[in-house]
Amino acid sequence: MELRLENLTKIFTNKTGAETTAVSELDIVIESGTLVGLLGPSGCGKSTTLFMIAGLEKPTGGKIFFGDDDVTKLAPEKRGIGLVFQNYALYPHMTVYNNILFPLENLDVPRTEAIQRVKEMANLVGIGELLDRKPSQLSGGQQQRVAIARALVKKPRVLLLDEPLSNLDARLRLQMREEIKRIQRETGITTIFVTHDQEEAMSISDKMVVLDFGIEQQYASPQSMYNNPDNIFVAKFLGNPPINTFEAEVKKGHLMINEHKFMKFDVPDGLYDVGMRPENFRATEEGFKIAIKDIFHIGRDTMIHFDFNGSNIRALVDSDNIEKGQKFVHLTIKSERVYIFDKKTGEVVNHG
Amino acid sequence: MDKKLFKKSNKIEKITFIFDFIAIAIYISLFLILFGMLELPEIVDGSMNLDILQFMEPTYYFLNATLDKLEMNTIISLVILFTLVSLPLLLINIKKVRTRTIYEIDSYTASSKFVQAVINLLSLNVVSAGLRIYNMFVLVKFVKGYSAKEFFKSIFPAVKAYFKKIFKKKKVEDLGDLDEYSVSIKQSIRRQNTSFIIRILFTYLFLITVAIVIIVPFYWMVLTSLKDFSGATLANPKLYISISQMNWVNYKVVLTALEFGLYIKNTVIVALFSTGGTIITTVLAAYAFARIEFKGREVLFSILIMTMMIPGELYIITNFITVSKNGFGWVGMATGENNYFIAMIIPFVTSISYIFFLRQSFKQIPESLYKAARVDGCSDFKFLTRVMVPIASPTIFTITILNVFSSWNAYIWPRIITGVGGQEGQKYWLISNALRDTAFVQDNGRVMYNLQIAASALVTVPLLVVFFLFRKYIMNGIGRSGTKG
Amino acid sequence: MADFIKNTKKFFAKVKQSIKNFFWNIRRILNNGKRRIGKFLDKHNLNFASKFPGWAKALVYLSPALIVLSIFTFWPIINSFALVVYENYNMTSNTITGYTLFGNFITVITDESFIVPASHTGSSAVINTLIIVFISVPISVLLALFISAALNSIKPLKSFFQTIFFLPYVTNTIAIGLVFAYMFKTDGGLINQLLSFVGVDTAGLSWVESGAVYWRSMFVLIFYSIWASLAFKIMVFLTSIQGIDKQYYQAAAIDATPKGRIFTKITVPLISPMIFYILVTSVIGAFKIYNSIVALFGVTGAPSGVDYNLQSIVMYIYQFIDGSNAGSLSVAAAGSLILFAIILVLTLVQMQVSKKRVHY
Ligand SMILES: Nc1ncnc2c1ncn2[C@@H]1O[C@H](COP(=O)(O)OP(=O)(O)OP(=O)(O)O)[C@@H](O)[C@H]1O
Ligand SMILES: [Mg+2]
Repeated sequence: MELRLENLTKIFTNKTGAETTAVSELDIVIESGTLVGLLGPSGCGKSTTLFMIAGLEKPTGGKIFFGDDDVTKLAPEKRGIGLVFQNYALYPHMTVYNNILFPLENLDVPRTEAIQRVKEMANLVGIGELLDRKPSQLSGGQQQRVAIARALVKKPRVLLLDEPLSNLDARLRLQMREEIKRIQRETGITTIFVTHDQEEAMSISDKMVVLDFGIEQQYASPQSMYNNPDNIFVAKFLGNPPINTFEAEVKKGHLMINEHKFMKFDVPDGLYDVGMRPENFRATEEGFKIAIKDIFHIGRDTMIHFDFNGSNIRALVDSDNIEKGQKFVHLTIKSERVYIFDKKTGEVVNHG
Repeated sequence: MDKKLFKKSNKIEKITFIFDFIAIAIYISLFLILFGMLELPEIVDGSMNLDILQFMEPTYYFLNATLDKLEMNTIISLVILFTLVSLPLLLINIKKVRTRTIYEIDSYTASSKFVQAVINLLSLNVVSAGLRIYNMFVLVKFVKGYSAKEFFKSIFPAVKAYFKKIFKKKKVEDLGDLDEYSVSIKQSIRRQNTSFIIRILFTYLFLITVAIVIIVPFYWMVLTSLKDFSGATLANPKLYISISQMNWVNYKVVLTALEFGLYIKNTVIVALFSTGGTIITTVLAAYAFARIEFKGREVLFSILIMTMMIPGELYIITNFITVSKNGFGWVGMATGENNYFIAMIIPFVTSISYIFFLRQSFKQIPESLYKAARVDGCSDFKFLTRVMVPIASPTIFTITILNVFSSWNAYIWPRIITGVGGQEGQKYWLISNALRDTAFVQDNGRVMYNLQIAASALVTVPLLVVFFLFRKYIMNGIGRSGTKG
Repeated sequence: MADFIKNTKKFFAKVKQSIKNFFWNIRRILNNGKRRIGKFLDKHNLNFASKFPGWAKALVYLSPALIVLSIFTFWPIINSFALVVYENYNMTSNTITGYTLFGNFITVITDESFIVPASHTGSSAVINTLIIVFISVPISVLLALFISAALNSIKPLKSFFQTIFFLPYVTNTIAIGLVFAYMFKTDGGLINQLLSFVGVDTAGLSWVESGAVYWRSMFVLIFYSIWASLAFKIMVFLTSIQGIDKQYYQAAAIDATPKGRIFTKITVPLISPMIFYILVTSVIGAFKIYNSIVALFGVTGAPSGVDYNLQSIVMYIYQFIDGSNAGSLSVAAAGSLILFAIILVLTLVQMQVSKKRVHY
């Protein structure tokens, strides 16, 4: 089922009357059966967006559509959603079995069918043997599966996941990520996955939304967002190690670095923010000569530090191309991998 | 580790329960039968002549045996003793077996089985004792891999080794070839040990002294309640009595002739209803204060908190008017038109401090549980009953206990309202009133101290039983209730 | 045999299942009804429940408690201010003869045996109460502190001692009070017997009977109230001492701090909010002492045949609540307002003091 947010806005007003804009004019269409990652720094309004879709928070403005139905004013239980919380929110006094059964109690389901569904769901997420345990007797990963099973057992139209992996260790996270992707594919449910971990979002999502201060920054597939960020925020947010940014001037169509002409760009003259990802540099025979400030060998790759216009820049190059004790190196970068951002708006100016 | 043996041991344990249970049922019914047989003085002119109680020499016929007073006392004492010994055994084991895992079994478990078997033997429960001994051998096999024969063989060398170890330790250390620094360390360790031992000794001495001061009134109460009249009024009272001298008939007199059975019933009724009401009203109110957002919530709540400072005496004056003739007319009406129970219950079916206490624990339940329930289509009320109440059940349990205790202790309010009822009001006394205001004085001016103290014991024992059943929960709950208040 | 057991087990499982099914179906039917009603209301735009403002929902939950509270708590507070200005209020006929602003307060304050010691007893309710408060509270708080610190420092038998110390909490005040009175009897009392063991001449040494003197009776009363109130304090202190972070003690141990100083410099300051709380509540509690006096000395608050009494303020107030004499309830109201004022002042003073001394 397609999910559409139109102009969705949420403003919190506290007791003293001060206002916080948690979400501002969000316009997104989520196609049926896709998994969309909702990405952004802490406090940017991800949970609030999710809760509005779930119906737990009333939007201050805007509309929410499930398919063609306007559900903005519908009560949460009538929306047919499944929600997995950041801390799982399992009922601590109930067994896993009862936790999964609980949502079905409020639906019009015969008991035999309900039990059947609980068992199926438990097997799907791989906790079939743990049904008699209490949540406190489970590991984090198992708890998370229970939470997912509880969300899915209602056969929801939309599945909402609020940072479900944030409490897990790195290895389990990787594993659960694949698991979620698998379950989502198997059930074909339209899913929104909230996270503040860009790597997680990129690996799991069909499409991603990046939010900052409640404002949508970009909505695209992970790879195209990575290669063609709309603005400096998105560019900085994605990628590890993070993108290098520095100030540079374009003079007569040439980007000036360390008072040399670096590359030709078809943008008006002026001062810009420039972004280059460390892994996009190549060490070659000719190219731009820079003095190495620092060098770190990290296995297959080598990290080189150097100065561009007074900023410290990192480049990740193949270790084979660097010799021991080298003082200078020639670097190149493809011109479409250089991002030039407007200094005021932060919008990219050299990409279409 | 042999899983089969573990399972076997558990099975034996379960069978042992059945026999323990049967034994206790026998003890209790035996007690009830014998207690029912105890002979009371005759009733003359509607009252009992209690003076002759200690001079009566009834004979009882039980199972073809003729028993005199002393033998009867002995048997009842023994039956009670047996019950007291075997009841905890049953309760402890029920709890343990339900949570026991294969990893918790060690040689200590086996030896505790042996101790329990000895206790069983003392209470003449031969079957359970046998089963426990058998279980011990199973456990020994499980833990050490010894069979019964090998076990007995292994005892002697183990004891020998133990004594050897002790003797070795006693050897004086030779400080001769140590340098100065090591000697000083050795000495300071020794000094530390002595001061540590002295401190521990004093701590225990202090604690034991306090414990004796705490325990003595209880001991004296039980002791006196079993003495006869002259024993209780001796100028040099005995500090102990033999089991044949224990006059269990005192309790029967208190329960029937002095109508403490009725007063206990009254108190239980009041305690049950006021506690039930309190739980319902406070849970609902605490939920509203903890979860529902409404204007003026904080203001209303702080008003409630402020009234907690006002002494209860202030309420009692007006409440007395409220329940009397010019108010609801629950008391102070013509005979037969009064509702003493309602007057004793209704004013106490809610409590601000419990609302406060409950709200604190409700607030600790994470908001996300509420959200999850909302998404699952759970109504507010269902969320309260299915999620909040079970999670906050320790607090609710504490409140229940506190409230029952306070009903058990209620004195002034029942006294005031039953006081206006004269003879009729007396039938609605709660136990505290009865204890204070029953005349234990005979026509000839004698105060029947043994009966008075027996009544006190009768009032105290149910509380102690409840306490020992739920000891951990109550003590933790009370400790926390203070911390949170 | 095994078959039989299996079959019975199966049978019970089946019964359990069908009971569960039954309740499930009932819930289903109820939910269905609810849903249908909801739909109907939605259709006709009548569904107020979803538009219910918060306070309306809150009212539903609060009303049971609020109704009872307003009748038996809020109304009495208001009414007692009315009562104190009535003159000769008669509760049977519900009539008054006039109003007086301070008349009832003056009656109480100038009454013999409230503040001013009465000529025939030489004692007054306020003085008695103050003596009880200022002796029993400090002793019991200190004792409870020592005991809980001692308890916390031992391992074996800890829960045994804890259980014993808790026993006085689970008793009936009147019942144990009677036992205490019996133990302090002149002839045949345990205490006198013990005293005579150590060589004290106990002939005619009365504590709670005729022939006793004021301070001896007072001693028994204070002893009993400490005995009875110790349990709660120990429990609370122990809980908070156990809640102290172990690191403080480890740090102190490395600095070679002696045990006494650890107690006064670490334990006490860290649980000082709790001590303060206990202090406030037990002062208030001691001000309202009633049951123990009744248990030991009867409703008059005096051993029979002595020329003093041990009436407390609350006891003084209660003697006016019998509803027979005109005006007596007003006097009681005046007395309890005075008690309230005393408690309020004490609480405020303690708060002021604690602001400087309590470490939060
Ligand atoms: N109930 C509320 N009242 C007032 N402000 C709120 C409320 N809930 C959230 N906010 C504010 O709205 C903003 C967005 O919060 P939100 O919980 O959506 O962040 P988030 O993106 O989920 O962050 P995180 O990654 O830390 O979970 C924050 O600034 C927060 O302080
Ligand atoms: Mg969040």
